[in-house]
Amino acid sequence: MATFLQVAFDGLLNGLLYALVAAGLSLIWGVMDVINFAHGEFLMIAMYFSYWLGFIWKIDPIISSVAGGAFVFIVGALTYRLVIRRTIGKSAMSALLATFGLSMLIKNICLNRFSPNFRLLQDTLLGGKTFNLAGIIIPVPQLVIGLVALALLFVVYRLVKKTRLGWAIQATAMDKEAAELMGINTERIYLLVFGLGGACVGIAGGLLPSYLAVHPEVGALFSLIAFVCVAMGGFGSIPGALLASLLIGLVEAFAGFYIAPVFKYVAVFGLYLVVVMVRPRGLFGW
Amino acid sequence: MKKSLFSKGLLLVLTAFLVVGAISGAAVAEEKVIKIGTLFPLTGPVALAGQRCRAAVETAAEVINNAHPELQVPLAAQEGVLDGYKFVLVHADHQGKPDVAKSEAERLFDQEKVWGIIGCYNSAATKPASFVAELKQRVFMCGCSSSGALTERDFKYFFRMAPTDKTESLEFVEFIEWANEHKGSDIKTVGLIYENTEFGKHAAEEGRMAAEAGGFKVVADVAFNPGATNLNSEVQTLKAANPDAVFGACLGGDYTLWVRTMKQMDWLPKVALNYCTGYQDPIIVGQLGDDANYFMGGTGYAPEFAELMPAVAAVEEIYKTKTDPSVPFDSDSIQEAVALLVLAQAIEKSGSLDPTVVAETLHANEWESPLSMGGKVAFAPGGQNIKAMSMLTQLQGGEYKRIYPVDLADTEPVIPMVPWKDR
Repeated sequence: MATFLQVAFDGLLNGLLYALVAAGLSLIWGVMDVINFAHGEFLMIAMYFSYWLGFIWKIDPIISSVAGGAFVFIVGALTYRLVIRRTIGKSAMSALLATFGLSMLIKNICLNRFSPNFRLLQDTLLGGKTFNLAGIIIPVPQLVIGLVALALLFVVYRLVKKTRLGWAIQATAMDKEAAELMGINTERIYLLVFGLGGACVGIAGGLLPSYLAVHPEVGALFSLIAFVCVAMGGFGSIPGALLASLLIGLVEAFAGFYIAPVFKYVAVFGLYLVVVMVRPRGLFGW
Repeated sequence: MKKSLFSKGLLLVLTAFLVVGAISGAAVAEEKVIKIGTLFPLTGPVALAGQRCRAAVETAAEVINNAHPELQVPLAAQEGVLDGYKFVLVHADHQGKPDVAKSEAERLFDQEKVWGIIGCYNSAATKPASFVAELKQRVFMCGCSSSGALTERDFKYFFRMAPTDKTESLEFVEFIEWANEHKGSDIKTVGLIYENTEFGKHAAEEGRMAAEAGGFKVVADVAFNPGATNLNSEVQTLKAANPDAVFGACLGGDYTLWVRTMKQMDWLPKVALNYCTGYQDPIIVGQLGDDANYFMGGTGYAPEFAELMPAVAAVEEIYKTKTDPSVPFDSDSIQEAVALLVLAQAIEKSGSLDPTVVAETLHANEWESPLSMGGKVAFAPGGQNIKAMSMLTQLQGGEYKRIYPVDLADTEPVIPMVPWKDR
């Protein structure tokens, strides 16, 4: 029983991490109908940002995650200004290809500047810390990331659902032209949404160096799983992304332990296919 | 009159072109170069290892092309081979992907017109790329790809310097038998953890066969996808089976994640033995700190082997200038340097640039190789270096200590590994 609970808990914590990464993607996809292929690279640059702050100035990832969020907010906003804005109103493929190009650019800049070397922070506040709860080993870094994910998703959800800004975001997502007729500055909304999406993944990336090595390829699988979470949860739905991420975390953990570790991603993508076939708009999609 | 002047001018210009063309053509014809393609993963998950392998080949080319009388390496004292031929390297990147390796090998031969190829680090990439070379009857020198299957194809133009997974697996089993007998380690069961690639699967297969032949029971067989976001299920599976010994084949960032996840789950086997993997990477000590200690692995070279391989140090100084951050040779990269140094000797000895003649010469002779642990290189049919050696090391206090074979050991092994809570 203890093993079952351990596996379940590990799965939930991984699911919360995926939710944090997926939240920003969901927001961007839901509001702007743009698939940001560079989302994994946003995570990667936040990890580098946090790593270098920790390595040079000994700033712990808990603190640098906030700075990482702010940094990637700016990167996201700049991405909108310099790249995405030029693709609005054109075929969906042009935004997709533009962000794909951006992801290659970011990855290769990091490869060039930081080398493919994997880098791990030593002696962080959370690194390597665990505690035992009724026979279940709780890893502190993953627990903190899980709690941050819950808090951040709650804030983003409240922002979208309960504030004037959120209503403007929803209106822009539903009908851009009508929103503009109502006096909403959709240009600013898009900028904010891209920035917010970046900030969410930036905070996740800022925390990760507590236990995960940083290298230029680190964002690839996270980004793929985030796409699956968003599509499975329903485009633009934060609760959907959370539920899908938790499901994916659990399926990954149980399939990995009870079937075979090499089978875990087969199970994850298999689940995704089933959900998309049965309910193409996702769990919470409209 | 004007027409005549124009005609004369045109004639002069054309003549000048012809003369310049003839001179430059003669210069190209006299250019004595041997183009060698290097094919490594310069981007992708194991790009760091690939870039170090490339730097090692560049080091060997520099040693051969320029006079280095201070180095105790064959041909280092002279400039080039065959009375002035110099090696020119053409670098290519296979990104760790077998299909890219195949197409890049074709491009290197067909478009870049390379004489031969050195590569490819990943066994999965070496397999198709060397197949291209064999079809074209061109020499393929393989430094460190360790899949035994590569030299079981009866290829005529393929040569591998490093020991295979089979050699290392037998060495692992021999070591745990020794530990049981002399240290009372009581190791009865083995677990396998490996990346789900050509290299990992082959290493695990050899590990399983060697363990079972030695009378050990394999209680866990854990494959994982390289670049995973977590290794929780993998380590949980190992922990549940609780093998006494683990044979690991994890590269780069996956190795650090594996070690950290074991720490997080507060579990260790009595011994953890690693194939040519992340364990051998000299930067892991800095990355993992004390967590890196007490793991073991097959090692073809580490700076701590200096007294056994005195010629390496001076060559290593050149290598360090080609790596960023500057690092010493590791077990993998040094084999790529050996590949070019041996090839250069074979070209010199054969007195020919005919690939078939050079390949026959490579097979027919034993080569001096001060950068190899055995000091010699000789190839069996199929291309395996039958003089390849490695020894077992254990990381203790951040240093690779030689622990087995006993006659070459400088330190007693720590068995069982020190538990996480006692570090």
